[in-house]
Amino acid sequence: MTAPAIRVLGVDAGGTMTDTIAVDAAGRFVIGKAQTTPADESEGFVASVQDALAYWDVLPDSAFPQMASGVFSGTAMLNRLLERKGRRLGVIVARGFEDQLLMEQGIGTWLGYSYADTLHVITHRHHEPLVPRVRVTGVGGRIDPTGEEVIPLYESDVEQATIELLEAGVECICISFPFSWRNPDHERRAQHIAQAVIEAAGEDVAIRISSEVCPKRLELARLNTMIIDAYAAEPSREHLLNVRKRTTDFGATFDLRIMAAAGTTISIDAPHLVSTLVSGPIGGCVGARYLSQRLDQPNIACADIGGTSFDVALVVGGENEIRPAGDIAHFKMNLPMVRMDSVGAGTGSFVRVSPFSNRLEIGPDSAGSRIGTSNPDGGIDTVTITDCDVALGRLDPDYFLGGELPLDRPRAEAAIYEQLARPLGISVEEVASGVIELFESELGRQLKSTVTGQGFGARDFTLLGYGGGGPLHVAGFSQGLGFDDVLVPSWAAGFSAFGCVCADYAYRLDRQFDQPLPQGDSNGEAGNFIQALNDIWANLRARIAEEFRRSGVAESDIQWQPSLRVQYTGQLNDIEVPVASLEFTGPSDLAGIADTFEAIYGKVYGNAARSPEVGYYVTLGILTGSTEIEKPVLVVEPMAPADDIENARKPTREVYADGRWQPVGIFDLDAMRAGNRIVGPAVLEAPSTTFYVPPGRTATLDQHRIFHLRESETG
Amino acid sequence: MALKLDDAFQTADAGIGADGACLRSMLEESERLFAETGYYCGLESLPLKESAPIRYEKMHSRLRGGVVTSRETAMRVAASPLVANMGEVCFVLCTAEGDSVAVSTGIIVHVNTMSQAIKYMVRNDYEDNPGIKPGDIFVNNDCRISNVHPADVQTHVPIFHEGELVAWASGVTHEFDVGATVPGSSTVGPINRFEDGIDLPALRCGENDRLHRDYVDRCMNRVRTPEYWMLDERTRLAGCHMIRQLALEMIADEGVDTFKQLLHEAVEDGRRSFTARVRRTMVPGKYRAPVFVDCLFADEPSLPPEAAVDTLFHIPVAVDVTAAGTLNVGLRGANEWGLHCFNCTPEAIRGGLWAVLAQTFMSNDVVNDGASFAVGLDLPLGSWANPGHQLTAHTDAWYPLTPLAHALAKPLSRGYLARGYLEEIIAGWGSPNMLQGGQLSDSGIGTAVCNMEVVCSGGGAGLVADGLDYASIGIISVIDMGDIEDWESMEPLIYLGRTVKCDSAGAGRYRGGLGFDSLRMVVDPCSLQNHAPGKVFDGSGLFGGYPPGTAYRHNLHDTALPEMFAARQPYPTADWEGGSVPAGEEQLDDHTNTLLESYCRHDLYLSVIRGGPGAGDPIEREPAAVEADLRSGVLSARLARNVYGVETTTDDAGRAVVNIAATETQRGAIREQRAARGVPVADWMERERERVLEGRFVPPIKNMYRSSMKLSDSWATEYRDFWNLPSDFEF
Repeated sequence: MTAPAIRVLGVDAGGTMTDTIAVDAAGRFVIGKAQTTPADESEGFVASVQDALAYWDVLPDSAFPQMASGVFSGTAMLNRLLERKGRRLGVIVARGFEDQLLMEQGIGTWLGYSYADTLHVITHRHHEPLVPRVRVTGVGGRIDPTGEEVIPLYESDVEQATIELLEAGVECICISFPFSWRNPDHERRAQHIAQAVIEAAGEDVAIRISSEVCPKRLELARLNTMIIDAYAAEPSREHLLNVRKRTTDFGATFDLRIMAAAGTTISIDAPHLVSTLVSGPIGGCVGARYLSQRLDQPNIACADIGGTSFDVALVVGGENEIRPAGDIAHFKMNLPMVRMDSVGAGTGSFVRVSPFSNRLEIGPDSAGSRIGTSNPDGGIDTVTITDCDVALGRLDPDYFLGGELPLDRPRAEAAIYEQLARPLGISVEEVASGVIELFESELGRQLKSTVTGQGFGARDFTLLGYGGGGPLHVAGFSQGLGFDDVLVPSWAAGFSAFGCVCADYAYRLDRQFDQPLPQGDSNGEAGNFIQALNDIWANLRARIAEEFRRSGVAESDIQWQPSLRVQYTGQLNDIEVPVASLEFTGPSDLAGIADTFEAIYGKVYGNAARSPEVGYYVTLGILTGSTEIEKPVLVVEPMAPADDIENARKPTREVYADGRWQPVGIFDLDAMRAGNRIVGPAVLEAPSTTFYVPPGRTATLDQHRIFHLRESETG
Repeated sequence: MALKLDDAFQTADAGIGADGACLRSMLEESERLFAETGYYCGLESLPLKESAPIRYEKMHSRLRGGVVTSRETAMRVAASPLVANMGEVCFVLCTAEGDSVAVSTGIIVHVNTMSQAIKYMVRNDYEDNPGIKPGDIFVNNDCRISNVHPADVQTHVPIFHEGELVAWASGVTHEFDVGATVPGSSTVGPINRFEDGIDLPALRCGENDRLHRDYVDRCMNRVRTPEYWMLDERTRLAGCHMIRQLALEMIADEGVDTFKQLLHEAVEDGRRSFTARVRRTMVPGKYRAPVFVDCLFADEPSLPPEAAVDTLFHIPVAVDVTAAGTLNVGLRGANEWGLHCFNCTPEAIRGGLWAVLAQTFMSNDVVNDGASFAVGLDLPLGSWANPGHQLTAHTDAWYPLTPLAHALAKPLSRGYLARGYLEEIIAGWGSPNMLQGGQLSDSGIGTAVCNMEVVCSGGGAGLVADGLDYASIGIISVIDMGDIEDWESMEPLIYLGRTVKCDSAGAGRYRGGLGFDSLRMVVDPCSLQNHAPGKVFDGSGLFGGYPPGTAYRHNLHDTALPEMFAARQPYPTADWEGGSVPAGEEQLDDHTNTLLESYCRHDLYLSVIRGGPGAGDPIEREPAAVEADLRSGVLSARLARNVYGVETTTDDAGRAVVNIAATETQRGAIREQRAARGVPVADWMERERERVLEGRFVPPIKNMYRSSMKLSDSWATEYRDFWNLPSDFEF
């Protein structure tokens, strides 16, 4: 093989492993893995990249200068947040609002819980606040919901608060007042006063105000977003700069970008990095969007099974769905994120028989990266999904992670017998296959509900399965759902990293608007509305242009996509409505907004749910600015005969399928060639993934090295 | 066969139920079989579950998961913050006879209310008149039929398969306003049915999946928040239709007979699971947890004389746990219903029971009507808990129901203690003040205000940890204070503060969860009420723990706040020292349950959301935990010394530091004081007996006991026996 010209590099640092994908000009790719190094992520970055490049016998020094684009998705910020190792902050709020971080609005005690734990009040807990109560100070002053001043700003309070926070040794001061998105006057004045105090004291302490960082409604989410940016995101910039330095040390000429929750990539130099806090799981969704566009399949449902969770997201019309505000851990946040439905069911989920009802229960807790009872060193005594896969012969205990982690099958079988089979009075293999069936049917139900919850049917979609457990279970959970086609990329294990390099280079900014959509042609009203909207877009446009300018991108190279969030008046859930123009000129421009909203709303919730009589309300103005960036091409391999599979064949193994033990063909996934077709039952193995093709299904590898899983032809 | 059908009922003609039976005979047959066999529908075995446990589980999780998902999706349609933000919505799939099979999250209090509403329609031959056909929509909010209070509005949609009614999909939302004589959701003021707001007594409100035009018009014109009403209406309908779709898909996949079999087995399975859990976690016997709530309206000039009275609710909670694992929950001794809006129905009582059981007892399990078949209710007819009268008012049935639900935690916790499930123990919950009322529009007609941050009271303590601070209430688990910016956008008041309340936790070895103060300043003219149990403790501590403090009100009218603001003087952000803010009128008293009063701009209204009860003796609390509470400002030095017996000094940084030696001395002194104060029980009883004999009680208490004895002979006998009174003793 000639030395490949590597064009794009994606690196996804997860909680335990850092995955790399490097793609050459022809679309060929290699996947590397290394341990994540939380203390300095750049080490894991380099190790993972070297692991990948080694498959091609290439050294970083020669590879990096050829690359046109590179994206990194890190985990340092999230770790910093979860481990409470962020910066020492001070917070200034309106008097009387000092306890909001402690109180978490109550909802913080159960946000993200399973159905059972949500009900079970004794499991609800408060969390240690990011900023201790003693460094949260209130100052007099109030703005009301209409933006009117009800209580003047007590300027001397601000001075005093700043002095106290400086004495407390804070590194940054965050200021957030109610309704500052409506009227930022108090926040701005407080900023100036605090700035003067800081300067007078000769200190170097940054000040942030919520009307700039997050000019959106709902005070706790806004405060959390600003605090987390200062607490966890900003101090992690150093990590990212280290990673970038490694790339330039290797001779890279591209500007390493980072993945953001809305499915875009942004520069490490962006003023606020909080949007990149949760990015790993987003990568896969963005990869799905990319495949959707390249394969001309507008609608893709992506399903990612990890050790602890099952994440489902939709690509509709070639685009990711965005929700305007998502939660991170137990924090209410005000950040746009790729919409993903996540349930606590993964390959590490525990399986038990309830002593009360003698019924099987799966999860919600999980062994996570400790695998299960089959992992002799994992310290796990309760049966997991993976244990059942091992007992059924689907997973080779000697080839788990390519043999790096030997599993103990008899130990798993004994645990399954003792904990499940004996209480239910059925055999180990019956109960293990029953558990898998139940697990997969639950995932299938989740998947289906995501699709139908958005007003679609499965037949409108192609399903894409990836993640550590995706290829193993995708055939099971997609069974009978009616998907048009089921795709399993042969790089499923590195799919999130792949997705990172598929993302646009774009900034998405938004701003609270909160005005009723003028109906009819009451001209003055419409004119004010249009003016206000145009002002928002002009403001967002200037900010985005500035962010690009920092990275040397000219405004003329930016493409703009404005949109609005619209809801029925009085309703709290809004829908994103794209609009054609960045500048409205007259009332006629507004007519299309309601029509588009009605069309989307009726599709999602059914026409019976429409309520046009209450009128429309525009909550947010949104602007996305993007610029061209090189993305990976998909490999195009010559087609081999369908049955030319002997090179890939490994010794057969007994697998429990269709209610009996039977010898099943085992194949080396990486040795398979485009055009090859495998009829189930079969197991396809690669070091990082195991793909199970059950009886009645056929997997065909296409020219892009993507498997298509279909019903076998009968006869 | 799932259902053993009588020959006679098989030949019933033109019914829409199984094999042409009418629904009423199906329901009667189901009840007969249960009465005769003790098994739901006579299901002595569960053939589907036993022969194919995996398939059964798959189908069951598909049903439950589908109902949960329907709620999630339908909520996005919803408008009112009660529904969309607070999650005050719940869906359920019921059998053809009306027994609930699968329930979503949300206000689980309604597991049974919707079920009973369906049974009302079935028993009253709705299939004959007005008729039940595919595409029909029924609505109910009538408490006499089955509801907690009129603000809970139910939608019921029949599910047909090939002409047979095979199941029902039902949903309920909690409305901001139901058009009662005074605005609000749990309105206080109505004294009879005619003042209770819009009346929707299980009526057909739509056909062919569409709401009737006349019904929509009627609702839009009859409530103060019509936009919210209509959007919630559609939420319920959308959710019911999703559940219907789920059921029809399942019938297509599994066959209708298997589907019906599953529904019946799931109910029986729920019953068995419940009794197994009772046997495992409780010890048979009788558990008591009486509680009292006051309702003082004697001084209300706006009420007619017959309603302007002071009342004390007697809530004598008694739980019989049988060896078979069934529960009998009794309120023998409850006093009479009254001309107020706090009357409950048996379905409301059962709802309160479910809410607590679902949160504490069976949260990991299937919640459905199966459990209903293992729980008996004993509610004296004519009492506030079972008025049996067609014209009673119910707008705020929650007022006695909340403390009742909270009291139920105690029998359960005693069972857990006896069995060693220490982590599950919870001493109860705190009761909040509910800010309610109306904003005056330009026309002078009020719109509704109803703030639901009240669901974030303090949780009760356990025996391994303190209670949950400001995030818990017995009647719902998916609690949320909501954003202040949301509430202020809907209310004529702003928040001057939402602040953790010092000394609000009930003391104990483990203290209750903390409560908080919301101090509100009026910006637009409005009428508001205070609404909390006041003069009495509406819940005790557990195992020697203390209750949280009683409620009080602190409001200011005609304040000098504008002058204070102009002068940049500090203003209150939580409860404040009485008299320290100049005002025309200051209300600082225990008058905590009032009708509407007028408020003007810059008036102050304090909402006290109380803490939870404690567990265990406070003088056994770890001094370090007391120190931590002192340092974080949630406990005063006074209570630390007097209640916890903890003595502290102050370090250089001004922080409290426990003085161990002085603490031991103080705790010893408290023990001695207790011993000195103690008298032999026999002496105490003799003294109190004299009081009873002479009737030396304030009138409301005397009236309460008189009424309790009148309604329940058995309670009267117990009372007389306990105090060794003459057999003809009466108050």
